[in-house]
Amino acid sequence: MSRVIVVTSGKGGVGKTTTTANLGMALAQRGRKVAVIDADFGLRNLDLLLGLENRIVYTAVEVLAGECRLEQALVKDKRHPNLVLLPAAQNRTKDAVTPDQMKQLVQELSNNRDYVLVDCPAGIEMGFQNATVAATEALIVTTPEIAAVRDADRVVGLLEASDIRKQHLIVNRLRPAMVQEDLMMSVKDVQEILAIPLIGVVPDDERVIISTNKGEPIVLAQKLTLAGLALDNIARRLDGEDIPFLDLTATHDDLFSRLRRMFRGTS
Amino acid sequence: MNSESTPTPLSTLSPTSSDAASPNLQVRFKSENGRLLLLLPPEGEQNSLSLTWTDVWQQLKQRLNAGDRFWQPNTSVHLIGRDRLLDARQLQAVVDLLAESQLYLKRVYTSRRQTAVAAATTGISVEQQPSVSPLTPPAESQSPLADPLYLQTTVRSGMEVRHTGTLVILGDVNPGGSVIADGDILVWGSLRGVAHAGASGNGRCMIMALRLEPTQLRIGGQVARAPETPPAQYQPEVAYISESGIRITKSTDISRLRSYLSDL
Repeated sequence: MSRVIVVTSGKGGVGKTTTTANLGMALAQRGRKVAVIDADFGLRNLDLLLGLENRIVYTAVEVLAGECRLEQALVKDKRHPNLVLLPAAQNRTKDAVTPDQMKQLVQELSNNRDYVLVDCPAGIEMGFQNATVAATEALIVTTPEIAAVRDADRVVGLLEASDIRKQHLIVNRLRPAMVQEDLMMSVKDVQEILAIPLIGVVPDDERVIISTNKGEPIVLAQKLTLAGLALDNIARRLDGEDIPFLDLTATHDDLFSRLRRMFRGTS
Repeated sequence: MNSESTPTPLSTLSPTSSDAASPNLQVRFKSENGRLLLLLPPEGEQNSLSLTWTDVWQQLKQRLNAGDRFWQPNTSVHLIGRDRLLDARQLQAVVDLLAESQLYLKRVYTSRRQTAVAAATTGISVEQQPSVSPLTPPAESQSPLADPLYLQTTVRSGMEVRHTGTLVILGDVNPGGSVIADGDILVWGSLRGVAHAGASGNGRCMIMALRLEPTQLRIGGQVARAPETPPAQYQPEVAYISESGIRITKSTDISRLRSYLSDL
């Protein structure tokens, strides 16, 4: 039985696609058979992040139109053949596909695969419904900003209403130093509002930008950075391993900040 | 923190604002003469305000998720469809959804012939009523406060709960969510969104929460924001209307408050 997981957030630009690409890659590295679907019709990005853009021949729309078979549209990853990408059409809009068609695609794709990750577009309109219709689990990605958390909260409510109850939270682009200075929402603040179980915290890291530009997910690096390690750990937790959370504060917890906090009287 | 704090008053609402807990904007369950009624919002002429089927469906699911402990298994439900058009597939979906909560759809009441036909083809007993003339509003809008509504749910961003009586929420009301009631509002959790008690104009209604840090409070025709500086420590609090506008006090002082209010 394969697990169909939608990666969603409500707000745009919080890291859904980066998360999808990295989790897909990390799971494939662990020997799982993974399919990632780009459900962002008209604004596809997942192929770029995986460095597979120039290998796309057919897209999901052609599969649905019967112009090709599903296998023909799937793009196999050059580094890990366990990972395949089903690209979205770039020349269509979100209304080109109906939820029923999407469900059918995902079901066909989930045959003999361990994971199907669906990269959801921003917003809660048709594209969101298409992306979530076949999912049985959800990963909610948010950054520690009120706008992102507000939108994530809306999405959690909508997913609950469509009976997707297995939801996990990823807090992305956290800046531990700012949290310690009380300038940024902490993971605890975010959890207090969203009230769903946490599966990982990814620190802000400019090397993520470099890796997306190069089309090489950061979990592929020989020596994992903190962000890469955090994403790899999320993949492991998703896969059922019990991994303790990283201590992101360690590097910033010098004598000065300790003293400052002591004087401010917070923990 | 002293025992009473004054939230910042804003403007005064007109009591006829569209914000009143109009029952017509929400899917509702209601028990009447031992029958459980499921009332759908009417389709109406004013297209901008009427709900689409997707909205109705979402509300129904959220409503069922929030209250499933409170129905006896195998309770029969009478669906009051009013002038809403429902096709056979939508009716079947409602039947299936109710069945998940061990409720079964016994009868459909509608004023639309198409809906009646669809219900009959789905195999549900149906009663077609003449559509109500717009000059005589439905009787329910004149009734006094409805029974309190008790919901166990988190009211998340974008969700809105309206009720024509007192509203009890066992859970949080998040920023972006709103709770609107003609009676009092009790939140057994954190109230971070918008709450409007006495929405049809009753200024003696109160809003209470274990942790009161609202975006905005409204009671009757008055509006207030929470104090600019949040208290150092949160404790259960009550908001009510005094001569100087909406005020907040510790919930332990509620008995004093009661006597004050009855003097009013």
